[in-house]
Amino acid sequence: MVEVRYESVTKRYENGFEAVKNLDLEVNDGEFLVLLGPSGCGKSTTLRMLAGLEDISEGNIMIDGAKVNDLPPGARGLGMVFQSYALYPHMSIAENLSFGLRMSKGEDRLSDEEIVRRVQETAKLMELEDQLDKKPKQLSGGQRQRVALGRALIRQPKVLLMDEPLSNLDAELRHQMRAEIRRLHETLGTTTVYVTHDQIEAMTLADRIAILDGGELQQHGAPLDVYNHPANDFVKGFLCKHIDEIVETANNLFPKE
Amino acid sequence: MKSLSQRWYEPQEISTLRLWLPVAVGVNLLLSSIEWIRNDSLALQLSLLGASALFVLWLVLPDGEQIWKRDVAMGKAGLVLIIGVIHYAAGMRMAIDLWSTLWLIGPALLALWWLSSPVISAWAKGSLSVQGAEDGLARNKRIAPRLGAFGSHILLIHAVMLVLIPVLWILDVAMSPGNILGGDIGVSDWTGEHFTKMLAGDSSFWIWMRNSLIVSLGTTLMGLALAVPAAYAFSRFRFSGREGSMFAFLLVQMFPGIIILVPYFMVMKSLGLLNTSIGLILAYSVTALPLCVWMLKGFFDTVPRELEEAALLDGCNQFQVFWKVILPLSLPAVAVTALFSFLAAWNEYLLALTFNTSNDMYTLPVGLASLISSTGQAWGDFAAASLLVSIPVVILFIVFQKFLIQGLSAGSVKG
Repeated sequence: MVEVRYESVTKRYENGFEAVKNLDLEVNDGEFLVLLGPSGCGKSTTLRMLAGLEDISEGNIMIDGAKVNDLPPGARGLGMVFQSYALYPHMSIAENLSFGLRMSKGEDRLSDEEIVRRVQETAKLMELEDQLDKKPKQLSGGQRQRVALGRALIRQPKVLLMDEPLSNLDAELRHQMRAEIRRLHETLGTTTVYVTHDQIEAMTLADRIAILDGGELQQHGAPLDVYNHPANDFVKGFLCKHIDEIVETANNLFPKE
Repeated sequence: MKSLSQRWYEPQEISTLRLWLPVAVGVNLLLSSIEWIRNDSLALQLSLLGASALFVLWLVLPDGEQIWKRDVAMGKAGLVLIIGVIHYAAGMRMAIDLWSTLWLIGPALLALWWLSSPVISAWAKGSLSVQGAEDGLARNKRIAPRLGAFGSHILLIHAVMLVLIPVLWILDVAMSPGNILGGDIGVSDWTGEHFTKMLAGDSSFWIWMRNSLIVSLGTTLMGLALAVPAAYAFSRFRFSGREGSMFAFLLVQMFPGIIILVPYFMVMKSLGLLNTSIGLILAYSVTALPLCVWMLKGFFDTVPRELEEAALLDGCNQFQVFWKVILPLSLPAVAVTALFSFLAAWNEYLLALTFNTSNDMYTLPVGLASLISSTGQAWGDFAAASLLVSIPVVILFIVFQKFLIQGLSAGSVKG
């Protein structure tokens, strides 16, 4: 059972600005939760507090029932995919993948053979077997994205975090990777928190959507439930209207016989 | 009404002259100032005359409408040519006089040749057909790169000579017998006596070399050990006094080194560090620190923060993030900074002269200067030693060159 719980979490910056206000949110075990909202709504901050990259001003974040507020990022058992991939340019793909495993100490430390085995396994999962000796700059955008995913997954994280991972890919690749991410989620069943500002991405990927605006949670629920029963005008405008417009455009382009 | 091609066409030679003649005028003015310093009044007058004739030539360059302009331009070019020939005949025929003459005769000949060519005369009459103008534009495109390359090579040759002539000169002095400075280049018998004397086992040269190496390498290590962490902190952390310290670093750079010479001397004296390598290492690393920190900070600023966050999530602590991710990525910048510190220490004279007064503790610059004493001026030895001193620097540059051009950071983030 891995579940993530935000308990009255507030993020306040030194200048008094509140990026996240009194957030209560749960992510259930094995669930794919999408944090959706416009730029500056606090969705990235919400994710980064869970990752340990931002301090929490008030409230608690629990992973697996344990309070993680003051644990360093590496100790929380997370994997994270960054928008820019953030691959280590001076390491080969194999080294990029295994870096996290090689960094762990004490009883968590795997044997060298086990690390090699895990790298092979992950490379196979991400279809990167032929790229292991290359450097990140020799790879295409889609391949780099796979390495970033593989690096997040190789430590078998309790929670997988993704911060707008597809926003730098072209439309075709984005479509492919979206399917791939969903497939991986169904295979591995890792609890996932995914940040995006793209309504379609949210609707197609999520088990549950949480919509934020101005640092406040507006509504959360299954994608279709939210779409069918928007709780307020913001959700109606940001999600429902946007999707209706896309559907309308599609209908106009391809009129039904 | 003229067609577009007719209105736009100007032979490339004319455009080239338009661009280069001011350069020729400038060079001739520069040369005349040298001649003024040398008190060569005839050459000075001829150069000024030539420069003004070239300037007039530039003013009357044909515009493709009035044929008289071409004829006047030809006349002006001929005038410059005559001035050049007189300059040659009257001059003292030293290298600089030949050079000065060439800058008159060369442009004049070029202008004469081009202005009299059929292409230019046809165009200068102002009766070029549309077809002719279009052909001319196509021809321009063909020859423009060649003319451009010719011009830039002339400038580059000047730049190269500017760098090479002192080196060749010192090489000449180093390989001429006796310890005299000056004389003609390359006419005396070659000899290696100065090099053998400098490199002989009992020569002070090796002691100075040892001191210089200790001081320079020590400065490099110490400077990097201080500058790298400081620059990283300035780049990544926000702490009180950050802005102030950055500014203070810049501020101390503004004072000329001689101001701190006396305080430094007092400090070194009270610490008992006069006539030691450590004293110099301390002084040099501290002096080079501000620039090193600023250079490195500039590079650290370009390393994406997400890389560090990824490393944090991979289980690194702050030190490991720096050691395993940031530092390997910053090798080119660190290499440049190291090279800079090394060179600064290797070449420094004033502090070394003040602090280390015994021959055993001289660094190379001070040692070299001691060869030119009031009692005996060993210019040949001095020249040989200066060439030997440059060798480590040249080697360093060759080694570091690889780092300097390496773009390690490419591909770290989306590309």
